[in-house]
Amino acid sequence: MDMKRDYYEDIQLFQSGVVLFWTVVLLLVLFTLPLVVPNYYVYLFNIIMVHIILAVGLNILVGSTGQISLGHAGFFAIGAYGTVLMMTLFQLPFVLAILIAAFIAAFFGFILGLPALRLEGPYLAIVSLGFGLTIMHIIGGVDAFGGRMGIKTPPLDLGIKQLGISWILTTDFHKYYLILIMTIIMVVGARNILKTRVGRSFVAIRDSDIAAEVIGVNLTIYKTLAFAVSAFYAGIAGGLFGFVLGFFDPFTFNMILSIIFLVMVVVGGLGTILGGIMGAMLITYLQYDLLKNIAEVPYFGALMVAVSKQWFTLVGLENFSSMAIGLIMIGIIIFEPLGMFGLWIRMKKYWMTWPF
Amino acid sequence: MMFKKKMLVSVIAVWAVLCIAQVAPAAPPAGFDDNEIRIGQWGPQTGPAAPWGSVARGSKLLFDIVNEEGGINGRKIKYFIRDDMYNPAQTVGVVKELVERQGVFAFVGGVGAACGMAVKDYLAANKIPWVGPSAADQDFVQPINPYLFAVYPLYRDEANVLAKYVVEKLNMKKIGMLYQNDAYGKDGLEGVKERLVAYKMSLVAEIPVEPTEKDLASQILRLKNSGAEAVLMFVNPTAAVIALKTAANVGFKPQWVSSNTLSDYPLMFKISGGLWEGVITGAFGEIPDSTHPLMVKYREAAKRLNPQERWGTFYSAGILFADPLVEALKKAGRNLSTEAVMKALNSIKDYQTIGPKINWTEKQHQGTDSVMIQKCGPNASYIQLQGWTTNDLATWKKK
Amino acid sequence: MPVGQLLVEGLAIGACYGLFATAVVIIYKTSEVVNFAQGEMAMFSSFVAFHILSVYQYPFWLAFVITMLFSILLGVLIEFLFLRPAKHPSILGMIVITLGAEMFLMGLASWKWGAEQKFFSLPLNPSVTYEPVKGMIINNWAIAVFTVTACIMLFLYIFFKYTKLGVAMRATQQNKHAAKIMGIRTERVFSFAWGFSSLIGAVAGMFFASRATLDPAFMMEPFLRAFAAAVLGGLMSIPGVIIGGALMGLIENFFGYYWPHWKPIIAFIVIILVLCLRPSGLFAKHYVKKV
Repeated sequence: MDMKRDYYEDIQLFQSGVVLFWTVVLLLVLFTLPLVVPNYYVYLFNIIMVHIILAVGLNILVGSTGQISLGHAGFFAIGAYGTVLMMTLFQLPFVLAILIAAFIAAFFGFILGLPALRLEGPYLAIVSLGFGLTIMHIIGGVDAFGGRMGIKTPPLDLGIKQLGISWILTTDFHKYYLILIMTIIMVVGARNILKTRVGRSFVAIRDSDIAAEVIGVNLTIYKTLAFAVSAFYAGIAGGLFGFVLGFFDPFTFNMILSIIFLVMVVVGGLGTILGGIMGAMLITYLQYDLLKNIAEVPYFGALMVAVSKQWFTLVGLENFSSMAIGLIMIGIIIFEPLGMFGLWIRMKKYWMTWPF
Repeated sequence: MMFKKKMLVSVIAVWAVLCIAQVAPAAPPAGFDDNEIRIGQWGPQTGPAAPWGSVARGSKLLFDIVNEEGGINGRKIKYFIRDDMYNPAQTVGVVKELVERQGVFAFVGGVGAACGMAVKDYLAANKIPWVGPSAADQDFVQPINPYLFAVYPLYRDEANVLAKYVVEKLNMKKIGMLYQNDAYGKDGLEGVKERLVAYKMSLVAEIPVEPTEKDLASQILRLKNSGAEAVLMFVNPTAAVIALKTAANVGFKPQWVSSNTLSDYPLMFKISGGLWEGVITGAFGEIPDSTHPLMVKYREAAKRLNPQERWGTFYSAGILFADPLVEALKKAGRNLSTEAVMKALNSIKDYQTIGPKINWTEKQHQGTDSVMIQKCGPNASYIQLQGWTTNDLATWKKK
Repeated sequence: MPVGQLLVEGLAIGACYGLFATAVVIIYKTSEVVNFAQGEMAMFSSFVAFHILSVYQYPFWLAFVITMLFSILLGVLIEFLFLRPAKHPSILGMIVITLGAEMFLMGLASWKWGAEQKFFSLPLNPSVTYEPVKGMIINNWAIAVFTVTACIMLFLYIFFKYTKLGVAMRATQQNKHAAKIMGIRTERVFSFAWGFSSLIGAVAGMFFASRATLDPAFMMEPFLRAFAAAVLGGLMSIPGVIIGGALMGLIENFFGYYWPHWKPIIAFIVIILVLCLRPSGLFAKHYVKKV
């Protein structure tokens, strides 16, 4: 919107006093939210924040670098299983365990990035899909990881066991703060990545990778780095997700989850951090809360029940959620290709140029 | 600018720590009041596991009948069904929503072992009784959980009983097994192996099947070439039908034996196009057409209250899982509390309605240990082969 | 070593996968869209066939004809409603549109018919088997699949090579603007391609349904395998995907027999390996990209 006069202004975190003010207000609101809101919503916010971390990471890959990945559920699973196993088998402290699991996920992301150097479009989609499914099956096949039965997460202990310090977070309320701090760190990190040389190389690859190679961007390093970074984010998100749930099994990380992740990014807005955040918030809220009880919505619910009795089966009414999400996906691409971020920009522009 | 930012961040951090240290979350609303008792159930109403959703609707039928008859000691039952798409993440979400937003007294049923495991500790920590999970997982009852009361016989016990029947009554020596690659199938596999070891035999083939696999040609071929005379199947209904159809294609006709998840003969007969005739399965409830007076009553009520739904085995299973809770609520009387209901539940002995006999004590929350064995006759009729049989090799009873 | 039997089974299911992959390829060849909704479109058409057979009790051939018409209509409608309004969508955008259509169709089918499994069969007796060569048992279903696939292959070959509409479709794929200038109505060509591919998908779907049970999610697995077969054969050539489908069926059956624990993922491992070595699939010429 505004003109930047030199490089250091461009990469500043807070662009002006106004932005700083509103950011501080937002942070205050976020930190006091669990105190005023019933406990169930705190759980919902935890899940939303986990998805925000993942959507921001995936957006770096899909939006800024222009690749497609339908296998991020696999990296999510590596993060979840890795963290829990590091803590139970090797007795590592939580912070170390989640970082190691995220680096393992980043390594697998790097491996997925290698075929991506030669593939494009639907071929890349199918390879990433296969990769995600293969990871899920391999994790499920090894009995030491709990096998098909699933694995139970240990208590979330922030201390270091060897030194005798122990600070266990038990309720959703306490986990909220941990996840909030990690989300803020990851989002700021993503923004910084995108504003520096690495981010600009990603965008160059998206716009035209052959031209980018001509001007000196090393495709091999940057494409695989994009995959690795988004897999790192997915790993961190997965590690936190495991603790939010308390128990998970390999089938939780199936193909539908990968598709939902991609939908979050596309619906939110490709290539922007705010887009990833908004997409994650909307889709998680829809899937977990709003569309759950169609029959109980005041007028619309009764109408739906009547329609179901007449032409459709009543028991299938719950499927309305997948129909609604499908229609939202199509609607966003047709009417607003920039996603929710595009809607936000339109509203902003309208108010900034009012009354013309 | 940098200094201001650092100061801001540190102020927020200190304040956050103070917040965490002080405040405790509010208590969830109570599960009952003077007019109603709130009961909830989760289940897959959409997604690939949606056929199991009829269990939740079966419990709804029972609660509707109870409400029609005047409720329990002057209180009506308000019942919630929530869809969790067979995904543990969603199960945790819907259970928390019910407990903390609506205030629920108890849970019944609940399809899915992984889904149940995800919420088991949360329910116990919030002192909410959970009666009759619709999944047979040994972790539900061992180590003992004071709030969890299991009705469904364990798959391992059932596999044991079925294997014993095959070896002793059918005199078959070569036994193969087709099992689903998850907890359900693997429990069955262990049960069969346990029993065969006691007879000093072993399986000629044990083949895993993915739950969503739709092409079983190579698996069936392997079973055929191993020469199995009887094949035990611990798979979901779709896979079983595909197995039978494929076997008919290649000319393989063993004696099929299966667990009680496939005991809905009218459904299985219909979707396999008649190939289901002659299959032997376990059973844990009265057959849908039985003349047991309670079954007749429930059938009539279903025709009246929910005519669109088919009267199948899982629908009536929903009734059978919720029944003990209704009985305990009635026994606890007008002065309702969680402790009173728990005491009533723990004193249930030899309680039998349309299912097996249920026995609960303070130390033992696995209600039943026996299954019946039935065979599918022509036109999806039920032929009873063996009454309630217990598993004499069960180790959990000795504890 | 029942190699013969495995061969027959593998080729039969492979022909099914290949038929389904052909549907995917027709759309990709014409409009460069990967249709992730193909499985659900076939599923919906199969449900319609089931509905006609069970509720209206028409004879099978009549139900078949009505279903064919319905599937063509469904394909055209989806193209018209969902894809045409999108202005210059990117590849990712089109993938997301088709994924949205997939979720919508699956929800709609579950809502209309409920989630319980239904029974669907073609008027062939599945228990009748023939044994032409010792050790290879072939049954009616497999014979039907082979015949139908061969007929459709022949028809497509003649269609694309000799008829005007086929040539128009090839022209549209090669260069959309040049085709427009030459007088080809590209919008109609797209609609026709979608309708046609939906028709082939519905036929393949009915074959799958008669082998398994009919429930709203029954096409998810076969779609994945068929899609992998399409990618294996190269998304641009129809004989390539038929061979790709046959290869997938054979590989799966062989691995399923000898190492059943690896069966679910062997397909994808093969895909990943093939695509690492030949990025456009086994039978395609490498695509030309404009800078």
